[in-house]
Amino acid sequence: MTQIETPKVVKKKLFSPIWLLPIIALVLGAWLGVKSIRESGVEVRIHFPSATGIDVGKTLVRYQGLTVGKVVDISIDDDLQGVNVDVLMDYRAAPFLNDNTQFWLVTPKASITGVEGLDALFSGNYIAIKPGDGDSRSVFEAARETPVMLPGNDGLVIELSSDTLGSLDAGSQVYYRQIPVGKVISYRLETSEKIVFNAYIQQKYADLVKVDSQFWNVSGFDIDASLNGISVKTESLAAILAGGISFSSTGNATAQTGQHFNLYESEALAYGGKEFTLIASNADQISEGSRIQFRGIEIGRVVQSNLDDTGVEFKAKIDHQYADLLTGTAKFWIEGADISFAGVKHASRLITGSIVNFMPGQGPSKDSYNLLESAPEIINAQPITLQLTASENPNIKQGAQVRYKQLPIGKVTKVAFSDDFKAVEYQVEIDAVYASLLKQNSYFLPESVFAIDASLDGVSVTTRDLDTFSQGAISLISGDSSSLLSTGSKANLYASADAAEQAMSRASQTLITLSSPDGGQLSANAPVYYKKMQIGQVNQVNWQADQDNFVIEIGIDKTFKRLIQPNTVFWRNSAMTINAGLSGVDIDVAPIEGALKGSITLSLLAEDQQANSDYLYQSQVLAEAQAVAVKLHFPASTKLSAKAAIRYQGHQVGEIEQVSLDNDLQNLTAIGYLYGDYADKFTQDDAHYTITEAKVSITGIEAPETLITGAYVSVTPGNSGTSSFEFYGKQSAPLTLNEGDVRFTLIRDTLGSLNIGTPLVYRGVKIGQIDHYQLNDAGNQIELTAHVEQPFAHLVNQSSQFWDLSGIKVDFGLFSGAQVETGSLETILAGGIGVATELVTSQSNQIATGQQFTIAPKAEEQWLQWSPVQQKP
Amino acid sequence: MTDKAKQVQGKDNGLAPCKTCLKLCKIEDRQCQRCGTTISARDYTSVQKSWALLITAAILLIPANVYPITIMTSQGTMRQDTIFSGITHLVELELMPIAIILFTASILVPMLKIVGLSIYLCAISFRLPISKKNLMSGFHIIEWIGRWSMLDLFVISITAALVNMGQLLDAKPAPAATAFALVILLTQLAAKVLDTRLLWDRLELDNDTN
Repeated sequence: MTQIETPKVVKKKLFSPIWLLPIIALVLGAWLGVKSIRESGVEVRIHFPSATGIDVGKTLVRYQGLTVGKVVDISIDDDLQGVNVDVLMDYRAAPFLNDNTQFWLVTPKASITGVEGLDALFSGNYIAIKPGDGDSRSVFEAARETPVMLPGNDGLVIELSSDTLGSLDAGSQVYYRQIPVGKVISYRLETSEKIVFNAYIQQKYADLVKVDSQFWNVSGFDIDASLNGISVKTESLAAILAGGISFSSTGNATAQTGQHFNLYESEALAYGGKEFTLIASNADQISEGSRIQFRGIEIGRVVQSNLDDTGVEFKAKIDHQYADLLTGTAKFWIEGADISFAGVKHASRLITGSIVNFMPGQGPSKDSYNLLESAPEIINAQPITLQLTASENPNIKQGAQVRYKQLPIGKVTKVAFSDDFKAVEYQVEIDAVYASLLKQNSYFLPESVFAIDASLDGVSVTTRDLDTFSQGAISLISGDSSSLLSTGSKANLYASADAAEQAMSRASQTLITLSSPDGGQLSANAPVYYKKMQIGQVNQVNWQADQDNFVIEIGIDKTFKRLIQPNTVFWRNSAMTINAGLSGVDIDVAPIEGALKGSITLSLLAEDQQANSDYLYQSQVLAEAQAVAVKLHFPASTKLSAKAAIRYQGHQVGEIEQVSLDNDLQNLTAIGYLYGDYADKFTQDDAHYTITEAKVSITGIEAPETLITGAYVSVTPGNSGTSSFEFYGKQSAPLTLNEGDVRFTLIRDTLGSLNIGTPLVYRGVKIGQIDHYQLNDAGNQIELTAHVEQPFAHLVNQSSQFWDLSGIKVDFGLFSGAQVETGSLETILAGGIGVATELVTSQSNQIATGQQFTIAPKAEEQWLQWSPVQQKP
Repeated sequence: MTDKAKQVQGKDNGLAPCKTCLKLCKIEDRQCQRCGTTISARDYTSVQKSWALLITAAILLIPANVYPITIMTSQGTMRQDTIFSGITHLVELELMPIAIILFTASILVPMLKIVGLSIYLCAISFRLPISKKNLMSGFHIIEWIGRWSMLDLFVISITAALVNMGQLLDAKPAPAATAFALVILLTQLAAKVLDTRLLWDRLELDNDTN
């Protein structure tokens, strides 16, 4: 505490250092104030057509993503034509606000190619600025469209012009080999018919764009829909939805910014092609854009149509890769959709319109071609044209396919009636490639859409495609001939394979004409059999008015040609032959087909026999017997019916085919056949025809079989040498004298029990009989004509005595007793004439024909004792 | 004058409290014997300091209100709010109670504080005839309520920390926040540095008993 304190002089501070604080604050504040005033920016006025999407305080002005200003006020302009947008620009943007500076409104855009500025989506629309040069100004007119603005300074900006926008838009990608190399920046309508796109190509790809590059639109789908299916060709998904442009890079010179290119609608168009002119009378079905097709492939299109003095002139373009096809003789014609009840062919053309079809030719190309209304008749002689004939149209339409083994080889170009309307004619074109299939014996069949083949083996169903259903189709059946058909040849279209086979076999058949008194139940196609196998058929049956008979034409297959010989006979088959006799019943049933249609059988006679080969017999028997027809007339009372036999000595030598009563009711006319072997003899004009009926008498039954079969005709041969085929029959048989028979006349007072057939009995043996009896002209005697058969002829001579053997003779005397004399039992019942001869027969005492003898009532004693020893000559 | 006799001050007796530990020390010791703090009967420089801080605060009050205090980004839209525009925004959103609180804490209180302190300092410097009792009670109110002005800054700092979702929703303090924070800080300091005893001297010198 002893410390001496030195007085402190405290200098009172006027200002504390703390005062620096407000000074600093003041300075800082002032600086801030000055700065904020300095940076408050430049206010400009932009005139927009509308204030849509522009908000005060919100809408910003941006340049390359940098905010350079802000909308501070919006007011309607004085003449109410738009709005004035006051924008406060950043002070740093002031140098850009010049005469050529452009402002436009950018709306946020979310597209398939990407969302541009997600922030912009949230921050809303903004006003973009493109700095320009010129004098400084503060009032601007907003641009209506986005001006070309480079994403950067580098890169290439080119102009593309096109007719249509397609699905292109600003932002659509530009592709090179499907790599995005740039973008469409903007587009605008240059003139009323041209759209100009500005496209930007990135710097690293800029050298791909050459002066000769072609640009085409790859937007959307390229859909090629046909019956074959749908083929869809697209670029990337983005290009489908947002559109895109692709280009080629050919040539050397690299394009410069601002270069102008054409934008084509497709790659094919881009590559250009060859232009030419088509001349037509009218533009009915063809319009701009109509396709030109060759074998169904689009090779070009109609570009422009002009009307001139004479017709319509189409400018057409053929794609460059097909330009070679355009030759001097090339043909162009219009082809549209083909509508018929069976369906629509080329249905797509209903929508797309008709097309121009094309057929190449030869020679250097021309500048103009005629556009034909329809396909040319013969194009270059390339396809082979054939004329097909069918009896009727099996639903084949023009345009139907011609197939071989179900592969199309051509088509039907024309369907028409033949000149006489008897057939349908088709004109078909077969591609030249298949010429070797067209043999001379080729034929065509219609394809059936639906074929059921049912047999015992199962059921097979064959169906064809829809095309066949709508259009029909024709199949070629190639033959085995070595010679080929040429263009213009004719061929046949058969209804079916069977028909074809039939027709083919018929073509090689041997034709035979048969005549027949009736149609014989035959119809065309009735079969002809040989040993029950079909070897041919009836082709036609014609009636011949002048002769009242039928001419039947039959065809015999080639294989069986050898059967047609001079000794071949034909007969008609009955559906069923019942041969019922006492010996049994024989039933022969013809094949069913033959039974229904009637049928003919042929057979060969023995080789040495000459047959009537052009006559159709009614039955096998007649045919094999080479029957000869005869016409017989009988009295109406005759009990004759058809099928009655004609017999000679009990042998059948023919038969009655048909019996009819004449108009005068007096006579029957019977048509009969005589078997060929005997016909000669029985068709002599002195042949006799009689009716044989059953005769029941005491002596027995004569012709007992006729009780069942009915009467038959007996015939005795003639030998006059003159042929006749018409006879007048008699009720009874004529005297039939055999060679060597001795004929004479016996006389008696009464007939007694004598009758025709009463035997002449020599020592109990029948040697002859009474043939006939009659009252003599005087009426006092009966003349009996008798004959002695040849083996016994020498037993009778002029010394012969005849007596009645009939009955029982009883001599009853008182002394002599009863003497009963009888002949055989037969003579007792039927009567008989006894014969005894006294002398040996010699040359001198032979009985002359017609000599008369008297029949004694009884034999004298001595007659019975005569016993000459006769010599048989 | 009994009144006056009662009003004997420590300095008259050579005593002064230590500002730090409030030990009553002798002024002549110069240093608190307990904590070593320099002891002075009166700090006459504190008025100057207070004035300087107050003026600085007043200056800073201008940018604090003119510049935006927050930058709110909501769905890409950036919104800058000054204190006042924030309040009007709340009024627009019909959040009146919050608007009132914010208005009180962010505008009314800082303003009143500066005005109040100005009056206080003027009363000291220019001996304004204001009742000692009123001044003191006003001073205490200012000192107490002043800290609540930090409310705004707390809200901003918490919001900035919590709301951070980039372009969708984001809140950031803007330049005015610094200025505003300085205003609050400086006014608080201005109140703190002021040696309130000076007021008493002045008033007693004036013998103002009201």
